[in-house]
Amino acid sequence: MSEKDNGENLEEEATYEDENEQKPEERSHVESSKEKEQEAVPMTRKRPEPKPPSQSAATEKSTADTPKVSDSPAAQTGWGYWGSWGKSLLSTASATVATVGQGISNVIEKAETTLGIPSPSEISSETKDATRGGENSDDNSADEVADGSSFPIAGALGVLSTISTAVQSTGKSVISGGLDALEFIGKKTMDVIAEGDPGFKKTKGLMNRNSTLSQVLREAKEKEEQQTATEVTMATEKKAHYGLLFDEFQGLSHLEALEMLSRESESKVKLVLSALSGEELDTLKEEMEQLKEAFSLAEFFEEEEEEKKGDEEFTKEVTELFSELHISTKPDKLITVRTSAHEWIAQFNSSLPKEEKESEDNQEVEAGDGDHDAKKSVEDIHAFAIRSLAELTAYSIEMFHKTAALFLHGQKEEVTATDRAKSLSQLTIVLCKELSTFSKEFTTCLTVAGVKEKADVLNPLITGVFLEASNSASYIQDAFQLLLPVLQISLVEARTELSQQ
Amino acid sequence: MEAIWLYQFRLIVIGDSTVGKSCLIRRFTEGRFAQISDPTVGVDFFSRLVEIEPGKRIKLQIWDTAGQERFRSITRAYYRNSVGGLLLFDITNRRSFQNVHEWLEETKVHVQPYQIVFVLVGHKCDLDTQRQVTRHEAEKLAAAYGMKYIETSARDAINVEKAFTDLTRDIYELVKRGEISIQEGWEGVKSGFVPNVVHSSEEVVKSDRRCLC
Repeated sequence: MSEKDNGENLEEEATYEDENEQKPEERSHVESSKEKEQEAVPMTRKRPEPKPPSQSAATEKSTADTPKVSDSPAAQTGWGYWGSWGKSLLSTASATVATVGQGISNVIEKAETTLGIPSPSEISSETKDATRGGENSDDNSADEVADGSSFPIAGALGVLSTISTAVQSTGKSVISGGLDALEFIGKKTMDVIAEGDPGFKKTKGLMNRNSTLSQVLREAKEKEEQQTATEVTMATEKKAHYGLLFDEFQGLSHLEALEMLSRESESKVKLVLSALSGEELDTLKEEMEQLKEAFSLAEFFEEEEEEKKGDEEFTKEVTELFSELHISTKPDKLITVRTSAHEWIAQFNSSLPKEEKESEDNQEVEAGDGDHDAKKSVEDIHAFAIRSLAELTAYSIEMFHKTAALFLHGQKEEVTATDRAKSLSQLTIVLCKELSTFSKEFTTCLTVAGVKEKADVLNPLITGVFLEASNSASYIQDAFQLLLPVLQISLVEARTELSQQ
Repeated sequence: MEAIWLYQFRLIVIGDSTVGKSCLIRRFTEGRFAQISDPTVGVDFFSRLVEIEPGKRIKLQIWDTAGQERFRSITRAYYRNSVGGLLLFDITNRRSFQNVHEWLEETKVHVQPYQIVFVLVGHKCDLDTQRQVTRHEAEKLAAAYGMKYIETSARDAINVEKAFTDLTRDIYELVKRGEISIQEGWEGVKSGFVPNVVHSSEEVVKSDRRCLC
């Protein structure tokens, strides 16, 4: 979504804000979800309480080293209710797309504690105030997004006592930023983050951090595990825990394995560089710089809007890009899970009466709708959405892991590291866009199926899908960055072989 | 429920290329026999819960390693964090049996300072007519290294459950007796999360992890 579009959307939102519950039509679901999130504050899925002492020294250190958008030390003491995801990711100062996504949960959590447990009317009136406040100053969505994303820093610096209106209006900006990022994951967010951190493009990735992505994810998963174990014993209660599912699909293990290969390669690269000097060193450094360039995901910035692609496009694109890597493995699992998720969505959509999607608030159709998809509750859709996102992300990371292993130990191929980097970067973008598409489709399903649900039931589910999709995209991007040292070492090896010939 | 388990054990599966490591694991974790399977790249990961006593579940994290020599530097890294291992050979492939020594030597070097409880697995026992390794000599070899021996078939689902659960039980006994203990920085054994209702005296050690109840 372009910035201009975004501005329009925000204006549309103003029109819909009081009546969005009666407007289940497709186009309003995104906008309305933004503010529904705020109304739904009390119902937000509660994450396990963090253990402040468990904040490892390393994590604290990394927070201090790299103050980023998400760096909110005060929050740890001031805000009682941080989600495990929010907390963990914040604590590592992760400068990824997640940051803005996190903003959603942060603000929700923050609003939650700031407000205490207010009466529903209190919330809704405050939300309206806040929303209005946000709109008045809102012709330039880009600024708005930037402000919103950076506001948590201010919050951390002592605006904890801020009245809820301020929090809410901040929330709005952050959320619109988050959703915008989901429209075009990565692009906007990176712009925003790059603004506050000019070196962002160069420093992005896990290599400079003291705590790795898998540690962060493991921490989050363990908390979820703990939560599920303590809260419930019923198997039916095991619903949509992204972290648990991600681990179940072995995403965490593959991520750790990838990190291991990345670290090993990194130290090898250092060793090689330290042994070189003069012209040889300069040439190699230059080539490495080119390689690094391919890892900047520059396409996110260049390409604006792209035509929506057909269903087979993804498979074709991924298969083609993957074949450009010249390795002896195929992304079959990834394609399979993606295809079956799409079939699920298509099946859901075809089970709906046609006119229903077009009509705005036709009571009769709504009644018909209730009969029709009684078989799929909003909880079912949400659970499937989270599961699909976790599965897709896990398989993407598995694919990166296998790719790394084969780059390091596979057959020698006639393809340069830089070309491989370019294909991988393209692949990353395709995957992130796919996640964005998924989040939109799933939330559309939710909006359609949940037309009769109360906002406080539906909204947390919609928020959850957007949030995890945004997180998923950032995990994939971080995993992609882990491949840089792997390709660097294969570049070095290719050179060495060349000079030996 | 998935999240409730007493311990998590990490098991590694090693052995020559094409002895059937991945097929054995997939039979165990997915309950089916995968006809065709590409050679494993580096390592693969699987997990399954095993109930060793009523109400007592162990989560197994299974590391499937590539048998191919070229991935050896990757797979080596996984010995250290495993508490148990299945060392496979193919009963129809004498060479894979002869290499058992090498595999054991290899692990010995890389597992330091920890140790792995191994079980020797003679795989593809459905192909008895093509057998090149007798049960007797395999048992003898296993005994020499203090291992148990079991013959399995992923195709016919023979002894697959038993191979994994017996190993799990043996490790569990060692953990219970304190001969293997949970250590910081070692992933071989981890304690799980147990809800209050299932809480029993011997799980008190893990209480620090439940402090948020």
